[in-house]
Amino acid sequence: MRHIISILVENEFGALSRIAGLFTARGYNIESLTVAPTDDATLSRITLVTTGNDQIIEQIIKQLNKLLDVVKVMDMTEGPHIEREMMLVKVLVASYEAREEVKRLADIFRGRVIDVADKIFTIELTGTSEKLDAFISALGQTPIMEVVRSGVIGIARGERHLRI
Amino acid sequence: MTKQKANKHPLAGKTMRGADMIVQVLADEGVDTVFGYSGGAILPTYDAIFSYNQQKDDKDEEQIKLIVPANEQGAGFMAAGYARASGKVGVFMVTSGPGATNCVTPIRDCMADSIPVVLITGQVATGAMGTDAFQEAPIVNIMGPCAKHVFLVTKPEQLEDTLRTAFEVARSGRPGPVVVDVPKDMQNWIGDFKGEGLLPIRGYRQRLESLRSAKLSERKCRQFFEMLEQSSRPLIYAGGGIISGEASEDLRQFAKTFNIPVVNTLMGLGAVDTTSEHSFHMLGMHGAAYANYAVEDCDFLIAVGARFDDRVAAKADLFAPLAEHVAHIDIDAAEIGKVKRVDWAHVGEAGRSLRQLVEYGKSIEFANDLGPWWKHLRALKEKYAMNYDRESELIQPYAVIEELNKLTEGRAIISTGVGQHQMWAAQYFDFKEPRLWLTSGSMGTMGFGLPAAIGAQFACPDKIVIDVDGDGSIRMNLGELETVTTYDLPVKVLLLNNLGDGMVRQWQRLFYEDRFSGSDKSLHRKDFIKAAESDGFGYAVRVTEKSQLLQALKEFVEFEGPAFLEVMIDADAGVYPMVGPGMGYRQMVTGDHIPTREHIEDDKRPNPIETTDAF
Repeated sequence: MRHIISILVENEFGALSRIAGLFTARGYNIESLTVAPTDDATLSRITLVTTGNDQIIEQIIKQLNKLLDVVKVMDMTEGPHIEREMMLVKVLVASYEAREEVKRLADIFRGRVIDVADKIFTIELTGTSEKLDAFISALGQTPIMEVVRSGVIGIARGERHLRI
Repeated sequence: MTKQKANKHPLAGKTMRGADMIVQVLADEGVDTVFGYSGGAILPTYDAIFSYNQQKDDKDEEQIKLIVPANEQGAGFMAAGYARASGKVGVFMVTSGPGATNCVTPIRDCMADSIPVVLITGQVATGAMGTDAFQEAPIVNIMGPCAKHVFLVTKPEQLEDTLRTAFEVARSGRPGPVVVDVPKDMQNWIGDFKGEGLLPIRGYRQRLESLRSAKLSERKCRQFFEMLEQSSRPLIYAGGGIISGEASEDLRQFAKTFNIPVVNTLMGLGAVDTTSEHSFHMLGMHGAAYANYAVEDCDFLIAVGARFDDRVAAKADLFAPLAEHVAHIDIDAAEIGKVKRVDWAHVGEAGRSLRQLVEYGKSIEFANDLGPWWKHLRALKEKYAMNYDRESELIQPYAVIEELNKLTEGRAIISTGVGQHQMWAAQYFDFKEPRLWLTSGSMGTMGFGLPAAIGAQFACPDKIVIDVDGDGSIRMNLGELETVTTYDLPVKVLLLNNLGDGMVRQWQRLFYEDRFSGSDKSLHRKDFIKAAESDGFGYAVRVTEKSQLLQALKEFVEFEGPAFLEVMIDADAGVYPMVGPGMGYRQMVTGDHIPTREHIEDDKRPNPIETTDAF
């Protein structure tokens, strides 16, 4: 099963490589990984999407909790939560019809065209990973030049929160 | 205010080099011995040790001994031997690049066996890092997955805090190795010594705090005793956590109070006195047959400081198949449920948890009749006792250890390499106390024995320390023979020579139709006696005849000073019992000299305590 794991880590040298290393060494997979500092400059937040049965996820969380840099770990998927991912897509839109079609599609998915060049649109889209996948497949025959995705971030709904 | 002043470090505010701060923190942490090899990037700190000892010229006992090995790996295992034998943090210090990479094996070994050591590695100056400088290696990256933690010092004002924190991390929680990588410019930096302070490792300390205060709730205690009450065949399975958690006394008390037998893991030998009534010695792949049968027969398994490792529970569901309940106490939450699902678990210190259970049990006046179980176990112990071919013309390795054990009476510190000799030593030696048995359990590092013995002798100068080694293993760190004589240590080296890698050959015999690929050393020309003599051993004797053995062993043990005894053993001797990889204990092969119990499917088994044989 797919799990979103959020980790607060000390903003220290090597913290990310230790966490990534743990996944490699123990054979857990990482589907996506995002890292950025939080409002507290001493802390970074890592959001990691992984898959595994309950026993594997339990081990992942317990092993993460053994790392010195790790301050707190939370399995987002345990409760109601919101997940978001951002995607930038560069597509080739040679004809007027193609430009119209892609613009309409972007509107349907609540995306925005953020850059326009001769025969090229760059579209920004935010949502769950599934929604981004759906947009890619909806593009159909439109030639895609480049796709960049931010990886998933997540936050719990309601009172549940991740803080020291 | 005055109290605060009194607590202040006498050297606080003094201007000194980073290197001097490192040495001062070592002294403050109670370090009396540093094992290590110098080199370019660690020169300032070696110089600082020299200066420190010069200042303490009139007070030998306050000096920090610097012990130099032949190879940095040796320094690592010396520090590990020191830590294992004493319970204190072992310290080793090496230079950057090759010095540091030679320490990867001992660091990983300490991690796998939860041994507290601190390794200080020199590093090229921060400005040169990442430029492929001379003797540069990315130690943080290399050691990261091998150690409990790796610190890289890049802010000199954090140097002393980092070092203090390294000691805290090494010895706290589940102990382990910590590496501090110190670039040369950090060692040469001049600043004010604070004499106090730690790094803010918030998450770790918070988790540690909850571990320290972890108490068994009334409900948990009650549940435990409900399981114990339902059980007619309880068994304690105690591991290395008892040794590292200093919980041996508590375990003995617990076993005695509720009259529960104990089997130990390889790492747990000495947790209970192996000669005591409650001890059923070692379980596992090469455990005693009666210990493994006890595990097969028990209906309640109480695991303490043990982790169901694959050499104990190769197939988790075949392990303790009749156990109605399994309880597990461990300091590492990640070990709970990792291999085997348990019915009752507690994450906390072994000693404290056992003490609480004893108190609770006494308070409810817990009593159960385990008479039939004990009768069954005593019969197992007698019938399936360790045994070997006593009539053989050739010298049997078991006999060597059995005889040596009679001389040392379970009080000697025994270190080993890895392989057959290691298992024979585990099976045939007695250990009355914890910290007498030093072996590379999880990593299985050949070459561990000799340097570990050296480290242990520094930790325990008054104890007899014997390295029981094999001809394969001892070759790996043979250079350290000279270290023994350089420091005139009374370390004893018993070499059981079977002309090759016996354990590998045993597996080749069992699983590879006698194709002894790379394991036969009968044509190797090393004369170990000459080697020992050339390194200055005053006693270096080879025994080739059975008739010489007893006399030689006696001389060897009684010799005052470094002693080396090589015994040419039966090269075909095997390690029995043996539970093959991936198999359950019922498939145990006991060899020609220990009886094998007939196997009956679990559902057809009668109550084990009604019969000894029918299993």
